[in-house]
Amino acid sequence: MKKIPDKDILIFKSCLVSGEYPGVESSTKYLFDKLGVEYVLDERQSCCTGLGYYFDLFDQFSTTALAARNFAIAREIEHKNIATLCATCYAILKKACNILNENDTVRNRINQIFKDSKMDHMEYSPGDFDSHSNIFHAAEILWNKTAEIKEIPKIDLSNFKIASHHACHYCKVHYKEETIGNMRNPMIIEELAKTCGVETVDWYDHKRTTCGAGFRQRFANLDLSLSVTADKLLSLQENDVDILLHMCPNCQMQFDRYQPVIEKKLNTKFDLVHLNIAQFLALAMGADPYKVVGVQTHTVPLDNILERINQASPVVI
Amino acid sequence: MEIKTLKIGKKNNKLTESIIHDLRASEDIGVNKCIQCGMCTSVCPASRHSDYDSREIAKRVLEEDESVICDDIIWNCFSCYSCHSICPVGNSVAEIVQILRQKAIAQGKLEQVVTFLAFGESLMELGIGSIPLEYFNILIEIIGDEYLDIKINLDDIREELGLGKLTLPDDDTRDIKIILEKTGFTNRLEKLRAYKESNKNSKHKG
Ligand code: SF4
Ligand code: SF4
Ligand code: SF4
Ligand code: SF4
Repeated sequence: MKKIPDKDILIFKSCLVSGEYPGVESSTKYLFDKLGVEYVLDERQSCCTGLGYYFDLFDQFSTTALAARNFAIAREIEHKNIATLCATCYAILKKACNILNENDTVRNRINQIFKDSKMDHMEYSPGDFDSHSNIFHAAEILWNKTAEIKEIPKIDLSNFKIASHHACHYCKVHYKEETIGNMRNPMIIEELAKTCGVETVDWYDHKRTTCGAGFRQRFANLDLSLSVTADKLLSLQENDVDILLHMCPNCQMQFDRYQPVIEKKLNTKFDLVHLNIAQFLALAMGADPYKVVGVQTHTVPLDNILERINQASPVVI
Repeated sequence: MEIKTLKIGKKNNKLTESIIHDLRASEDIGVNKCIQCGMCTSVCPASRHSDYDSREIAKRVLEEDESVICDDIIWNCFSCYSCHSICPVGNSVAEIVQILRQKAIAQGKLEQVVTFLAFGESLMELGIGSIPLEYFNILIEIIGDEYLDIKINLDDIREELGLGKLTLPDDDTRDIKIILEKTGFTNRLEKLRAYKESNKNSKHKG
């Protein structure tokens, strides 16, 4: 099992979290604080280019150069354990890290750019970061604290049925990595949710299917995109799932923003709400829905779960 | 159906070689090892819902069929890596398609990326990407005005959540601009801008 750190962590900000579901960032901070995970954020850290990369706008070289700059920031502040909030950042950074370590030509060209631009301190040396032992998804940092999370008093949410959507860019891109559960049936989200005493649907048709965003497809090819999202929603409906838990803002956006559109299209109603796993855990621990969890930026209303939370208080489960 | 997967005696391997050595390709990508088993297609959302067929893409590449580069069908891929994670020989249609698209762009096929230009511009100006305005307007249209309200109130909401500024300090966006100029990205954006302009003009004339 890979070694997961709980200190010297840089929470890697994601532009989609920042702009769509900022509550994912504040919930993650809330949990890390509660669990004694030592972390920082850095205002200089830029977007990883991920969406642009998959819009086919960014080339691998430019993406790698910006990754080297972000790595230099993490190195400078001595927080070399990167925890991403977005699955695409996770995969993009791992790939860039491998290129920087293994491809001398690319690394030298990027270092030359830094030199020529009076940014010598940004230069990357082979082995500065290791894609396996320095780059994580924030959910993995939480998973490593499952035993501690179990001890924290929580609101009883056992009347909700839970399923997961493990982001493809977390479990399918670097599929040789140890993905918790395994690549064919990832279980990291279920294992975290179970600490709240809830029932989880561990397998459903289309569990491994993509969200349907397809990067450009959502914008340039909406019908194709939504037909994939609908596959997944219909399967979740068959399984009477109440809450779908996420680990990537892009998938969460696809389900939460477009669910009402698909309902209209298919003339049906999905009684399904969407939360990031960190938002879910924070809610269960009694975090403020508006000041920590950020439910005000969601499209599908979370009334049912909020009602339940208003009625109950956290207890040891 | 004729399936040529054995490269014995194959003289031309320009396309496969250029894909294997592309920076986007995984180091050990099994392009030449494809056995046409169709596992990729069986898990592919684009193949399920459109004329796209991932196994067919792998086959055309194996056969050095360069026409695949300019075939519009390659733009249907979702980059979901389902094919990539399941392929028994370590091939990756996901990566192949990304590389083919870059080749199409290099050949001047810009219409599929020009609409995403604003994402690059925003990254250069602010250090974070954003949804291009044209698409943003469509989003508001189909999702509703509540979505617009979230965006209008974003700074306040972030403050309520105790979060920092959305964009990067000026010194840092300046650094990013300098880096991206030297990687050739700025150049690429300029080409796209010129293409967009010329299209506008020709539309006006037409
Ligand atoms: S992957 Fe997407 S959300 Fe994450 S930083 Fe990059 S562009 Fe932003
Ligand atoms: S499910 Fe969709 S948005 Fe999420 S990681 Fe996969 S492709 Fe990206
Ligand atoms: S799964 Fe792999 S080997 Fe099978 S057809 Fe697809 S690319 Fe070829
Ligand atoms: S990455 Fe593209 S080809 Fe591969 S399964 Fe997804 S949509 Fe199909």
